[in-house]
Amino acid sequence: MASAEVSEDEASLALTNAEKDLVLAYQAVLEAEQAGANVSSLVPKLNEAGEYLARAQVEYRIGHFENATNFAGSSRSIGDEVQNAAAGLKTSAFFERVQHMWFMMIGSLAGMILVFLGSFWVWRAFKRRYYRRVLGMKPEVVSGEP
Amino acid sequence: MSLEDYRAVFIGVSFILILLVASPILSLVLPFSSGSEHFSEFWVLGPTHMAEAYPSNVRVNETYKLFVGITNHLGSSAYYVVYLKFRNQSQPLPNVATSEASPLEPFYTYMAFIVDGGTWESPLTFGVLKSSSYDNFVSVDSVSINDVVFPVNVFSAWDAAKNGFYYELFFELWLYNTSSHSFQFHNRFLGIWLNMTN
Repeated sequence: MASAEVSEDEASLALTNAEKDLVLAYQAVLEAEQAGANVSSLVPKLNEAGEYLARAQVEYRIGHFENATNFAGSSRSIGDEVQNAAAGLKTSAFFERVQHMWFMMIGSLAGMILVFLGSFWVWRAFKRRYYRRVLGMKPEVVSGEP
Repeated sequence: MSLEDYRAVFIGVSFILILLVASPILSLVLPFSSGSEHFSEFWVLGPTHMAEAYPSNVRVNETYKLFVGITNHLGSSAYYVVYLKFRNQSQPLPNVATSEASPLEPFYTYMAFIVDGGTWESPLTFGVLKSSSYDNFVSVDSVSINDVVFPVNVFSAWDAAKNGFYYELFFELWLYNTSSHSFQFHNRFLGIWLNMTN
């Protein structure tokens, strides 16, 4: 039974827009995740938007175009909300990552310099001790009568 | 050991220590593979939430419960779609060898966003609401999925070998591909045979 207020074309357009928005929201979440953000709070919202979209598709298939448009609208608004939240998470994750990288690079470089200088110092000390030991092994000249 | 030998040992040990200290920086530059296999788990469970007691002999106006689930082991969050389709014995199933989905139209859809290592599951109730019987045929006219009624109009001929009019409710798993920007059949499907003789 088709709705009188919303045409099939309008419902179809609403569905297409909601599908595109949900894909964009998913891609935004994926980018945030790849930037190192914790996206676990956004996934339930994506699933909620997905449930609305699935329901919109069902309503469209059985000819309830007004319901389909309403569910597609609900899916879109959650999808937009997720997109904005994901963009914010991505930005903060990027800055955290840059900061972490700097700490890591400075720490590693300082560690490498310390290892290099430490090895050099240990080698010099070892060499000195080695020479002392070798010199100590020289035969002593003793005077004696045949 | 001569002093030259000691020197070589010292240089070797120092080099290993420097590599260890530099490993955080090296990990940023060199790609290290985790080596784990990427795949998706897909299941349909019976009403007791176990892989048993699946509905098989189906009566009109009775409802049956199942659970559909997916676990993501793809290494990143994934966007899955599950299509429900209904067919008789002669209509085509997906072709796993060629990675082609069944050309039959889905009448119900699930969408699932799952983080890596995460699981999604949803209950499913279904029932046959209207069927018509002829001499050697049964027609399922409408089914309900999660309390939504769908016209299906699928005929099934008498199967003399199995003594029944058989239909299959099957589930196809699709995955959103971020490279091609489209959904692709994920080469996994599950089905339940339903005997409409009653």
